Amino acid sequence: MVTVLHQLSAAGYLVATLATALGLALPDARLARLSVWTLFVSVAAHAAGIAGIQLVAATPSLTTLPAAVSLMAWLAIVFALALLRRGRLESLAGLVAPFAFAATLYAAFTLGGVSPAASSGDGRWPQLHVILASAGLSLLGVAGVAGVLFLAGNRQLKAKRRGSLRRPLPSLEALDRVNVAALALGFPLLTLGVIAGMVWSQALNGHVWDGGPHATWTGIAWVIYLALVLARFAMGWRGREAAACAAAGFAFLLFAVVGVEMIS
Amino acid sequence: MKILLAGMNHRTAPIEVRERFAVDDPAPWLAKLVAGGEVEEAVLLSTCNRVEVIATTRRLDAARHRLRSFFLRELGRGELLPDQLSSHAVLYEHVDTDAVRHLLRVASSIDSLVVGEPQILGQVKDAYRVAAESGASGPVLSRLFSTAFAAAKRVRSETRIAERPVSVARIAVDLARQIFETLADKRALLVGAGEMIEMALEALRSAGLEGAAVANRTPAHAAELARRFGASAHGLDELPGLVAGADVVLTCFAAERPLLDAPLFEEALRLRRRRSIFVIDIGVPRNVDPAVNRLDDVYLYDLDDLGAVAEANAEERRRETLRAEGIVQEEVDRFGGWLTALAAVPTIRRLRGRAEAVREAELARWAARAAPDEASRRAVEALTRAIVNKVLHGPVSRLRAHAEREEGLAYLQAARVLFALDDPAAPGAEADERDDPEDREPGGGSDEA
Repeated sequence: MVTVLHQLSAAGYLVATLATALGLALPDARLARLSVWTLFVSVAAHAAGIAGIQLVAATPSLTTLPAAVSLMAWLAIVFALALLRRGRLESLAGLVAPFAFAATLYAAFTLGGVSPAASSGDGRWPQLHVILASAGLSLLGVAGVAGVLFLAGNRQLKAKRRGSLRRPLPSLEALDRVNVAALALGFPLLTLGVIAGMVWSQALNGHVWDGGPHATWTGIAWVIYLALVLARFAMGWRGREAAACAAAGFAFLLFAVVGVEMIS
Repeated sequence: MKILLAGMNHRTAPIEVRERFAVDDPAPWLAKLVAGGEVEEAVLLSTCNRVEVIATTRRLDAARHRLRSFFLRELGRGELLPDQLSSHAVLYEHVDTDAVRHLLRVASSIDSLVVGEPQILGQVKDAYRVAAESGASGPVLSRLFSTAFAAAKRVRSETRIAERPVSVARIAVDLARQIFETLADKRALLVGAGEMIEMALEALRSAGLEGAAVANRTPAHAAELARRFGASAHGLDELPGLVAGADVVLTCFAAERPLLDAPLFEEALRLRRRRSIFVIDIGVPRNVDPAVNRLDDVYLYDLDDLGAVAEANAEERRRETLRAEGIVQEEVDRFGGWLTALAAVPTIRRLRGRAEAVREAELARWAARAAPDEASRRAVEALTRAIVNKVLHGPVSRLRAHAEREEGLAYLQAARVLFALDDPAAPGAEADERDDPEDREPGGGSDEA
């Protein structure tokens, strides 16, 4: 059931992605609406799927990689949809969808194969670590997608042609505000997630820093984000620089947290 | 009579070239142009997007040569065009029907950088008014320009080209929305003045733009504009501070070199903590250094850039443009008929002159022989005049009717041969020597007794 719900939401995210891509190329507002409605339906199915993980498992846990990835994708879509209340950001939500598609597809194929026993993540701190870090990552992910969109929009405006896009991208100012909000919220959540992870490590191994690849790479990513947050809020970086950093930072974070986990 | 049009526009010449040929007041240039005698009537249209001369001539080759040298030596001040541009590529030339069609397309805004924009008709009207007042325009161009105004009016009312005006103003709002999430908390700065730029500001205001400042060389002018837009008035010396406070900068200022440069914008960005600035520069020559667009967070659009954006929407307007072209063609045909008919006027005048000369000669001979009293002389005078008019009425009306079409020229030729109208020794030939412009207008003559 959990797998089916994940497959369904993956299909929904794929439809939303395609509708968004087509909606940017064709001057038809209905495609953008289709994309948003598909996202709402998919995110509901996805929520049921995540709840299912908790109900089905003997000892409810989010600490397996597939579950954590699924949660991260769900939070990112929820955040992107919440942003729609703030302005013309349909294409942002639509472009977060391909990431959610990849994540739910991965979860759908791997959730069944992970036995609860393989996870040492029982208890409050591990759950808190995954929830906080996933929330932080999802927000920073939305900031990264907004950054990519900002760079594309900035390029169009500077080059003075719309290219093959028939409908305008979200305004640069709106994308920059997404960047601020996502960073202001995402970085503290990521930090709390890292702290929760340290507490968990302390309880498990007796020291806060286990020196493994996950901890090391996440530590580097956290330092990079700290520099980014300082540049943005203390030094007044904005616009193109902030957008490029958000995009590059998230690519690195994704590698550090998920990529390293998958390789190791 | 030939109609010749020569000029350059946004498609053949980049702004760097056009700005060198632009003319503030066409009157003295027109006086110089018609003084040479190669062209008879002339109108000079100089806007931000085109510099064109339309003229009438009886000596096409001489007039062509004259217009080329007028553009390259006089308007262009003899400066060489940039290497990559040949004068043949920059300057276009249209003759007769093509020239007429070109003017009608220009007036109807089909040829405009932004198709359907309403300003061009006013500019064409101004150009004609200046030529008419300075005496450079005569009956043929008068008729041609009324045809152009009529065509423009029809295009506006009979097609939807004006219903969806893709104006500079609308494009400015569209671009502003791509940069800013909302215009409600944004401020504009208007440097200089001009119809197009003021319309852009008005459009931004109605899209929600909050406040505005106006800067001008003369404080009185700034104050007047400020009153109209509910804005604050400033002098040019305050520009650095004003740019820092403006989210949208609109410029249309008559200055030889850029008024706003990159260091000024860099300082402004620093002061406003790098919040974006959208700059619309429609000054020709440009008011903002193009290097400004290389700065992050500044989006500079000059006239050519706005035109390129408009071009991207051309596909959607193509159907309406096609209908407008149909209307233009109808009006071109109508004017062509009038112009062809113009060729009948000298023939008809000579024919009438010939008949009148014969009548007068015969009347004089009879009077000398019969020595009639005054009453009889008057009666015979009226009788002969009536006969001549009645005999000529049919042929003259038919000549005129046929002359509106191209094949009518054969009838004119026949009339000239049959009545030996080209023989200068024949009686009545001197009638052709009069040169009263009113008389050249078909239907405007006095041949309907």
